[in-house]
Amino acid sequence: MADDDLPNFTLHFKSPYMKPFIIFLFFPLILLSACIGEDVIFDFVGASVRVSNPLDSLAVGDSHTFEAAYFNEVGNEEPADFHWNSSTSEILLFAAEGVATGIAPGTALVTVTAFQNGQPVARDSFPVVVGENTVMSGGTSRTGTIRSTSSYLLKGSFVLSEQGQNLVLEIGNDYEASTALPGLYLYLTNNPATNVGALEIGAVKVFKGAHSYTIPEPAQLSTYKYVLYYCKPFSVKVGDGEIK
Amino acid sequence: MKISSSILTILFLLRVQVSLAGGGWPQEKGHGYFKVSQWWLVSHQHFTDVGLIDPNVTNKLFNTSFYGEYGITPRLTGIIYAPFYSRALFNSIVSGTTGEVLVPGEAINSFGDTDISLKYGLTPKKSVALSATLTLGLPLGNDRGGSQGNLQTGDGEFNQLLQIDMGKSYKLLGQNAYANVYAGFNNRTSGFSDEFRFGVETGVQLFDNRLIALVRVYGVKSLKNGSLADAITSTSVFANNSEHITVSPEVAWKFGKNWGVSATAGGAVYGRIIFASPAYSAGVFLTI
Repeated sequence: MADDDLPNFTLHFKSPYMKPFIIFLFFPLILLSACIGEDVIFDFVGASVRVSNPLDSLAVGDSHTFEAAYFNEVGNEEPADFHWNSSTSEILLFAAEGVATGIAPGTALVTVTAFQNGQPVARDSFPVVVGENTVMSGGTSRTGTIRSTSSYLLKGSFVLSEQGQNLVLEIGNDYEASTALPGLYLYLTNNPATNVGALEIGAVKVFKGAHSYTIPEPAQLSTYKYVLYYCKPFSVKVGDGEIK
Repeated sequence: MKISSSILTILFLLRVQVSLAGGGWPQEKGHGYFKVSQWWLVSHQHFTDVGLIDPNVTNKLFNTSFYGEYGITPRLTGIIYAPFYSRALFNSIVSGTTGEVLVPGEAINSFGDTDISLKYGLTPKKSVALSATLTLGLPLGNDRGGSQGNLQTGDGEFNQLLQIDMGKSYKLLGQNAYANVYAGFNNRTSGFSDEFRFGVETGVQLFDNRLIALVRVYGVKSLKNGSLADAITSTSVFANNSEHITVSPEVAWKFGKNWGVSATAGGAVYGRIIFASPAYSAGVFLTI
């Protein structure tokens, strides 16, 4: 086939503006990359069982009903069945799940195991002294230190306490936070990597000095392990503090 | 300053601006320079308030814009920058443990904030071209998009920028070259801090003036006289008091007598409360 027989695909531009216009039509191809992607975060904290009403000691002859909660591997509370066991039933006896009775003076190790679908998923152990008196442990407050996990200024101490029916988070006079972050929020959480599943206390309005927050919904003193400072609009963790 | 004011800052500062047509030289009467371009930025990190780089959820910004300069009189040039299609989005956040989508990504599309300017030549036909430009920033974009109000294609504030440019042409190894410096004051409203803007630019024409290579270094210094971040209802990491110094090379190739294509990249070498990733653009320009 001779060259003259080849079909002619040459484009003839009648307007001097046609070429640039056609080139411009290719630009929206860039928008193909404008799709919503995925950012993966490391949010593993490990499954755990937490006893909300632990004992320091139990009087011989007294009974105490333990209560526990199960938190999954990302720190969210989930329903579970609990099995209670005493290392020495001659000292401390579980006649029913969670109901412990002091039998004789001494120390027993209590183990609580959480089950989901018949499989053990988490376990915790703690000692209980059986003696003359029954003494609850834990007190009515917990404390901690706020630290920055970013390059934004954030520091201070805090106390989380039961006051009547409410929990109150009191931030110390040594507290200081950067004012450069719009959308800075404060949370109570069991997973300091994210605000998902956390209890939102509110937007941060104070950036220096002592102040306090009344927790806006019923929560037990033992429910959460961390305070979390988080830039909500842009999902940036600013800092946290372990509640001890 | 509001949320995405930083976004806005970027949109404004890294936008496809001038090329050969800007600087201290106004357009001749009846002549013009027009450009349609695509600008985009993808960033998963930002400069914090102390200048360090921290991660953030990946944000993407895309602008399809029209830029035009037209000589109204020998001294007066009208200028418009109109991002007629702006898209802003952030990625979904997914648990690395469970694979569950923790925070769904979101996107908005809209018209973007638009600038209209008048440039007045102060030294016509002199070897040093001096001009003054008044730019009005019109808040035509969306400053509170998305379920959290954290997606923006505009900052929601009306600003006025007064800028002085000084340019001079020269020869570089026998080739046509130019240099331009500018300084400006940007008066911002709605609680945003005012800004001092500055920049320097130089370029050279090669291959029978078909290739234009240039580099810009420009920056913004916030006067930090606006509202605190918590006082701004529209919030974002990239908000008020953004500062940066950006280096941005550009190349343009003229295919015909009056049109060509250009490509630009720009990245901040210093920043405060602003994305820490390069922005790119590609465009087609026409001159009349």
